[in-house]
Amino acid sequence: MNARTAMASIVRHSRVALWRRQHAWCLRDSLRQLARRPLGSVLTIAVMGLALSLPLAFYLLLTNVQHLATALGDSQSVSVFLKSGIAADGADKLAATLRARADVGAVGVRTPQQGLRELAAMQGFGDAIKSLPDNPLPFVLLVEPRAGTDRAQVATMVRAVRALPEVDLVQDNGQWRARLDALIALGRRIALLLAVLLGAAAVLVIGNTVRLDLRGRADEIAVQRLIGASASFVRRPYLYEGACYGLAAGVVAVLLVLLLEAVLATPASDLIASYAGRLHFGGLSWATLAVALAVAVALGWLGAWLASSRYLVRFGNAG
Amino acid sequence: MIRFESVSKRYPEGREALIDLTFAVEAGEMLFVTGHSGAGKTTLLKLIALIERASHGAIEVHGRDLARLKRRDIPRLRRDIGMVFQDHRLLMDRSVDDNVTLPLVIAGVPREERARRVRVALEKVGLQGRGREAPAGLSTGEQQRVGIARAIVGRPALIIADEPTGNLDPQLSEEIMQLFVSLRQTGITILIASHDLPLLKRMKQRVVVLDHGHLIDDVPASQVA
Repeated sequence: MNARTAMASIVRHSRVALWRRQHAWCLRDSLRQLARRPLGSVLTIAVMGLALSLPLAFYLLLTNVQHLATALGDSQSVSVFLKSGIAADGADKLAATLRARADVGAVGVRTPQQGLRELAAMQGFGDAIKSLPDNPLPFVLLVEPRAGTDRAQVATMVRAVRALPEVDLVQDNGQWRARLDALIALGRRIALLLAVLLGAAAVLVIGNTVRLDLRGRADEIAVQRLIGASASFVRRPYLYEGACYGLAAGVVAVLLVLLLEAVLATPASDLIASYAGRLHFGGLSWATLAVALAVAVALGWLGAWLASSRYLVRFGNAG
Repeated sequence: MIRFESVSKRYPEGREALIDLTFAVEAGEMLFVTGHSGAGKTTLLKLIALIERASHGAIEVHGRDLARLKRRDIPRLRRDIGMVFQDHRLLMDRSVDDNVTLPLVIAGVPREERARRVRVALEKVGLQGRGREAPAGLSTGEQQRVGIARAIVGRPALIIADEPTGNLDPQLSEEIMQLFVSLRQTGITILIASHDLPLLKRMKQRVVVLDHGHLIDDVPASQVA
């Protein structure tokens, strides 16, 4: 290492140390300012926390609707209920006919006995089924459209199957699934919109709080500028203040959502039990909660940056 | 150290605060700027600290041409100047130590070095051991001493003071001026705006007299009577 490189390294090291010292002082200063007005700080954090918890709660709801949709199957399968007089060989023959279609991938045959066993396994149906004199269920064909088949082609196939004389009823599972997916997509869009609007509200809340703080400390800022503080030095404690507000509000929002999860857990588990465990109630992942915290910090920082930049442009030079 | 060359300052509302000012201050010199209220004393100091920019002419401070100094370089210029104000401009919700240490925090001086330099600065102004006190609990003269300690703690080569004795009684004014004289003996260049002519005469330093923005007299220290 020559002398020039060594000197550059020393300069770089001292700049980092200077930067670290200034940031440490600014962080302490902003925490001291927050501690000096505990009520105002708590109110700001509460308002922002509530605002951030709403999109999170909505996202929790959507996630569980998504779980529900997944639990109910994501295939486009079509259930074909045969007329009650159709016997096993008739059902097998019809299944073979359907398998020959170009738009059909697979056909399964579910016997009335299998159907009855499934019904008996579901909570609340056991006693009712035992009291039946005989099995009233028909043969059911579970038709899986060929991979790559779109909704229009499936609809054509359903119309064709419905017209067959052996068929009593055709239930297109894919149709309501498509509706559910569309509803979930709409919900996601609403959640995103809500998040953007409430995020903007959080930025305004923090921005206004920081703006009032800047006004309250106008003399101090003027003195700092007169004795050589750069705009970034003056701004830094307020950025930390905004980030601290954001972090605290993020923690409040996460705690509120965790509380909501805890409150919903018992009724949700009762509901799940009634579906013989086919459904699943889940909370938000830790990764999602961590992202929510990071976004809250970023929003707080942004609000403070906007307020402090505007203030410094208007009043910041001479003091 | 400081050079004014045909400097004029006209405010946006049209008022001519300084007109064609030419003078120089050497390193280590002490200079009083005097004149009646509105003569342009404060404007002159503001031009040196780039709180205002000159409308015409050239100003050089520490070898820097202020007209060419970019906005982002102004903080660095101000860090090289110690400023003392008539109303002290102390942060009343902070301790004396916090006030004096502020220029060092801005300059990024390490904590141990800050503590040492603050102690030395407070000793120089006669306030040793008073660092933990709140400025509000100090007398007006002591508050001005804190302001001076804050101005010298960064070891500036130049101190500018705007009516530093304006709020003080004659005895305290004399003490504060003597403090500036003693600081000058450490090699600091000092430029003080004051309208207290009898006090300035007793200090026996160079005096520049302004009248309606014009420099009407420049009296060397040896001729101050």
